[in-house]
Amino acid sequence: MVAGMNSLETAIRVENLVKDFGPRRALDGVSFTMHEGEIFSLLGPNGAGKSTTISIIAGLLRPGSGQVRVFGRPAGTPAVKAAVGVVPQEVALYPDLSAQENLLFWGRMYGLSGRRLAERAAQVLELIGLTDRRADRIASFSGGMKRRVNLGVALLHEPRLLILDEPTVGIDPQSRRHILDSILGLNARGMSVLYTTHYMEEAQELSHRLCILDHGRLIASGTHAELVRIVGELDRVELTLQGETAGVPDSWRALPGVRAADAENGRISLLADDGDVLLPRLFEEAAREGLHIASVQIREPNLEAVFMKLTGRGLRD
Amino acid sequence: MRWWHLLAKDLLQMAKDWKSAIFLLAMPLAFTLFFGFVTGGDFREAALRIGWLDRDFRTREPVTGAALRDLVASAPGVQLVELADREEAAAQVRGGKLAAAAVVPEGFAEAAWTEQPLPLAIIATSYEPDDRVASDRLRSAATRLLGSVRGARLALGPAGAADRAVREHALGRALAEWQRPRVSLASETYLPAGRITGFQQSSPGMIVQFAIYGLISSAMILVLERKSRAMQRLLTTSASRASIIAGHLGAMFLVIWVQEAALVACGQLAFGVNYLGAPGATLLMMSALALWSASLGLLVASLARNEQQVVMYSMIAMFLFSALGGAWFPLDVAGGGFARVGRLTPGAWAMDAFRGILLRGHDLAAVLAPVGLLAACAAAFFGLALWRFRFE
Repeated sequence: MVAGMNSLETAIRVENLVKDFGPRRALDGVSFTMHEGEIFSLLGPNGAGKSTTISIIAGLLRPGSGQVRVFGRPAGTPAVKAAVGVVPQEVALYPDLSAQENLLFWGRMYGLSGRRLAERAAQVLELIGLTDRRADRIASFSGGMKRRVNLGVALLHEPRLLILDEPTVGIDPQSRRHILDSILGLNARGMSVLYTTHYMEEAQELSHRLCILDHGRLIASGTHAELVRIVGELDRVELTLQGETAGVPDSWRALPGVRAADAENGRISLLADDGDVLLPRLFEEAAREGLHIASVQIREPNLEAVFMKLTGRGLRD
Repeated sequence: MRWWHLLAKDLLQMAKDWKSAIFLLAMPLAFTLFFGFVTGGDFREAALRIGWLDRDFRTREPVTGAALRDLVASAPGVQLVELADREEAAAQVRGGKLAAAAVVPEGFAEAAWTEQPLPLAIIATSYEPDDRVASDRLRSAATRLLGSVRGARLALGPAGAADRAVREHALGRALAEWQRPRVSLASETYLPAGRITGFQQSSPGMIVQFAIYGLISSAMILVLERKSRAMQRLLTTSASRASIIAGHLGAMFLVIWVQEAALVACGQLAFGVNYLGAPGATLLMMSALALWSASLGLLVASLARNEQQVVMYSMIAMFLFSALGGAWFPLDVAGGGFARVGRLTPGAWAMDAFRGILLRGHDLAAVLAPVGLLAACAAAFFGLALWRFRFE
């Protein structure tokens, strides 16, 4: 977890947010408060309601009910727009224009002009590490470079609050590291950051506080330490089987001391009271069912364990 | 002024795409040339080639025979081509080398002086306009000769007509009288400045057609902006929804207007089409057409969900409004039903206005009605576009 939060002024207050898309309820009474100067993450699997929440905060969607205030004002008002930079999940740029042309255009749309605009475009190009590629068309950039420009656009008008919607999806490790370091650097200089992700490592590394969403509901919130405390003294046992993994065998879920179990990408995760006690029983059950355990690890509880504890299943990509 | 930045961005995007230049300028110019030549290129009349097969060359009435030949040969635009036999005449008419052919039957000149004159045989097709004109020339010559012969006979009486020299003299007098008709018509014809060519049709026609086709590039930008979510991102800036629509509409209007201006300049300088005879009317029509086309572009961009649909909707609009509107050929030459429906379309209003400027010398006041109709139609399209516009 990062250091640097030094203010308790409210940046965002979300109260009992409800949003329906036709018959589907995307948000069901979500409430949280984000303080100014902190990095606050919304963590949850795809479809949990993260993007809907930040779309409402950014003023792109209207809630069915509930209210959102940003720096004390209703979301979507001109004053709030001027104070907020939004980095959408998609690369929302003009691919046939160069990086610099994109930045200059978006800067004008944020109300910058003249020397100030030129200075900010140059500073942002420097920040995202693309000064030497500024004249190249966005279409010629790698996915990671596009994401960096996507981030840079939201920084042009020096917003007090930066909202990022899964900004690292599908990019190379170097670009991902660059983006995460940029966010930490911006926060160190006082910028508040609202961050959505389904990568728990990112949420864990970046966030001062975070909340976990699932099926449109907020199921937990707090600091990383506070959330892990929900899991208590439980152990997280991760193992892989040889060959295809169809899921968690029913007999394993019924073993004494197993609190939750989930299978994902060939890996089985179990939350147990005591991993050391559970392991011999797991091997016995595996042998009885003709399964061959390829690897076993007992890990410290993390956010995934919290999610499993609260929902009974893993935090899927 | 956010709309202005959006407009400038759209123009920059189009300027970076060299294919846009092909759609906006090269293609309409090529089509102007093509349709200009197809519809005549130059309306100066070419000679009507009429075949002449004289089987009465041994006649004892050589003056009468020669008179018929002279009447045909002196008809406006006729060039006589001597033929040797009837099969050759028919073949050349069928092959289009001759507009028509006349076969003077043996005994024609002598029979002309009797109560039972022989008919002049005419070989022609019934479907080619030139062929019909050539046939008319031949009929007219034959009618004039026989009328003159009859006049001479009546004047001389049976006794006088028996003397060949007297007959020939009387025939000469009668034919000369045709040159001094007792009834004359006084007509006043307006002739536009410069030559009348096929470009007077194709140049405004292609301006109308490609004003519609040209909106593909700008509509595409809008659809791609929506697809990449850049449009939704615009809503996170201080740009209002109205300024976003105004920026895109402004860019479409400007691109189409500049395209029209370039085509008008080419028409004036390269094709001899006199748009500057009424510069105010031309400018107003260009603006009304650009406004209507830009509104149509916004509607296409509102309805289309992807690039393919932009092209499809634009092509449908182009073919519908340009063909029905008389951009390819004047509605006057189209069938009755086609012309009646066509005259209800904005393309026809624009074409009528441009042709009025070019061919009838219409001024600013004369184009106010079509300008009003185009503006009303633009308002309707704009309303539909706003209704269907999606920012997400």
